[in-house]
Amino acid sequence: MTVLETDQLTKQFGGLTAVDEVDLEIEQGEGVSLIGPNGAGKSTFINLVTRRLEPSYGEITFQGNSIIGMDPHEVVQMGMSKSFQTASIFPELTVMENATIAALAAEHGSFRFNFFRHQNSYPAVEEVANNVLESVGLYDERENQADSLDYGNKRRLELGIALAAEPDMLLMDEPTAGMSPDETQSTVKLIKRVKQELDLTFLLVEHDMEIVFDISDRIVVLNRGSVIAKGTPDEVQDDPAVQEAYLGGVEE
Amino acid sequence: MSDEPRDATATAAADADAEVTGGLGDRWASFRDREISTVLLTVVGVAVFPFLFNNFLDGYTQLATLMLIYGIFAVGFDILLGYTGLLSFGHAVFFGGAAYAAGIFSASVSSSPLLVLLAGTVFAVLLAWIVGFLSLRRGGIYFAILTLTFGQMSFYLAASPLAFLTNGENGFTSVDIGSLLGVIDIHGGVPFPLSMLVDNMLYVFVAVMTVLSVAMANRILHSPYGTVFRAIRENERRAEFVGLDVWRYKLMAFIISAAFAGIAGSLFAIEGNYVPLQSLYWTESGRIVIMTVLGGVGSLFGPLFGAGLYLYIENIVSGFPTLGPFWHLILGIVFVVAVVLFPNGIWGGIDYVRNMVVGGDEE
Repeated sequence: MTVLETDQLTKQFGGLTAVDEVDLEIEQGEGVSLIGPNGAGKSTFINLVTRRLEPSYGEITFQGNSIIGMDPHEVVQMGMSKSFQTASIFPELTVMENATIAALAAEHGSFRFNFFRHQNSYPAVEEVANNVLESVGLYDERENQADSLDYGNKRRLELGIALAAEPDMLLMDEPTAGMSPDETQSTVKLIKRVKQELDLTFLLVEHDMEIVFDISDRIVVLNRGSVIAKGTPDEVQDDPAVQEAYLGGVEE
Repeated sequence: MSDEPRDATATAAADADAEVTGGLGDRWASFRDREISTVLLTVVGVAVFPFLFNNFLDGYTQLATLMLIYGIFAVGFDILLGYTGLLSFGHAVFFGGAAYAAGIFSASVSSSPLLVLLAGTVFAVLLAWIVGFLSLRRGGIYFAILTLTFGQMSFYLAASPLAFLTNGENGFTSVDIGSLLGVIDIHGGVPFPLSMLVDNMLYVFVAVMTVLSVAMANRILHSPYGTVFRAIRENERRAEFVGLDVWRYKLMAFIISAAFAGIAGSLFAIEGNYVPLQSLYWTESGRIVIMTVLGGVGSLFGPLFGAGLYLYIENIVSGFPTLGPFWHLILGIVFVVAVVLFPNGIWGGIDYVRNMVVGGDEE
C-alpha cells in the first residue's frame, strides 16, 4: 500500500524553483532517505509534505487522501508525524509533561472541550506518556525539566514526542544533527528498533551518508529541486549523476 | 467543585494499577488532596484577610473587597499571560464591558445579584469570542496592539455613540442591586459568628466568588488545557506538530481569561453600584498586566497578591504624609525591584524563600 505519494509537486519562491515537479511514492513499512547537496530542496520538500508551506502546484496524497489545503495539525492527526532538525521540545516543562502533551494529542485528537476535567481522570493519556518515555529510555528522567537533559537525550525526547501518536509515517529532518558519535549511534539504533517494532514507514533527510546507507531501504537523490536518482543504496552509490552532484561537475 | 468524575472502568483500571504499584495510588491521592487544599487555603485566606488588613495594615473592608475583585481579574489574566504566553493589552474591554452589561442588566432586567453576575460574565465571554477570533490571527506584539485597539474602540463607543445605553462620560449610575436570593441584603451587615471576621455582606459575597474562581482556575490548570496552554507558551510550532489545534486552544485561553474578567467586572459594578467610563480605558488594561507581573506570572496565587499590593499602594500608601503624593513613583520602584530581584514576581519570591527554609519543593 502506498502511504505517501507526491505528484508533480512544485514550490517556487519568486524566480527560484526550490522543488521541481517531484514524483515520490513511499510504500507501507519502507524506510526512504532523501539526500542531496545543500540547497537541493530537501527541507522545502519536507515542509510541503507537512503543510508548513503551500505548494505552487502539484498533489500530495497521504493514505489515499489529498492533504492539500489541510492544516498541519490535521495532517498529524491523520498519522503523519514529524521530528524536527533541532531538538524541538517544551523546555520548561518536565520530561513527563512533554510526553503527556504528545499523548493528549494522540488520545484526544486536535481539540476537546474538557477544561473542567482533572488530568487524573484520563489514565489512558498517562499510560501512553509512560510508554513513550520507556521506549526512548527516558522514564527515569521523567520528573526532570526537559531543559536539563543533555542534547542527545533532548533529541530522543523529541523523537519520543513524534512517536507518541503511533504514526503511520514519520518524517525525520536530520535526526542526528549536532550529535556526538556515541549519541548518533544510539539514535540510529533507536530508529531501527522502532521501525521494526511499529512497522514504521519513514522519510529521512540526512547528511551523514553512513547513517543513510545503514538504515534506508531506498534512497532518493535531489539536486536543484529535481529528483536525479532513486533506488537501493547500492544503485544510488554507483550512479554517475549522484557522484557528479556531490563531487561537483567539471562544467560548473 | 465536586469530586473527579470518573467512570467505572477507569476506577477498575486504577485499582488494578494500585495493586501492582502501590506508589501510584498514593501519588494520585496526594494530587487530589492538593486540589482540595488549594481551595481550603483560599477559604482561610479570604476569611482572615479583612481582619488582618483592617487592624494591622491601615486597611478598610471596601478596599479588601476591591482587592479580591481585581484578584479574580488577575488570576484569569494570568491564564492567558503566564500560562499560554499571550499578552493582551485590551482586557479592560472584558472587565468594563461586563461591568456595563451587569449594570444595564440590573437596571432593566433583574436586580438579583447572581443573575447580574451571570449576565455580565456571559457578555464578556461572547465579546471575547469575537475579539479573540479577530485578534488571535496575529501573534506577539501585533496581538497586543490588536487587543489594545479593540479596548480603545470600546472606550470611545461607550463614551459617545452608545451613550444612550452607557450614560457616556458620567458613567452608568443606575445600577440597581437587589437582595441575594431574595433575603440577604448584599450591602448590609453580617450575622454574629461571621461578624467577628467581616463587617459586611458584600465582602462575603465577593469572597465566595473569589474562592470559586480560584477553584475553577486551579481545575482548569490541572486539566488537559493547563498542559496544552503551557505547551503553546513553550513551543507553539511543536504543539501544532504533535497534532493539537493550537488556534482553538488559544481562543479558549482568551475566552477563559475573559470569563474571569467578566466575573470581576460584574462584581465591580455590584460593589460600587456604579460603572465609571474609566473601567474601559486602556490604563485599566495596563493595570491588570502590572498586577499580574508583579504578583508572578505562571502561578495561581501570585496575581492575587499582585492585585492586593497594587491597590494597597494606590489607596493606602497614597494617603501617607509626605510619601503619599509620590505613590506612582513608589509603585514604579516596587515594580522594578520585584522584577529585578524576583523575575517570577511576589509569588516567585515567596517560593524562593520557602525553598531556602524548607529545602526544596516542586513547582
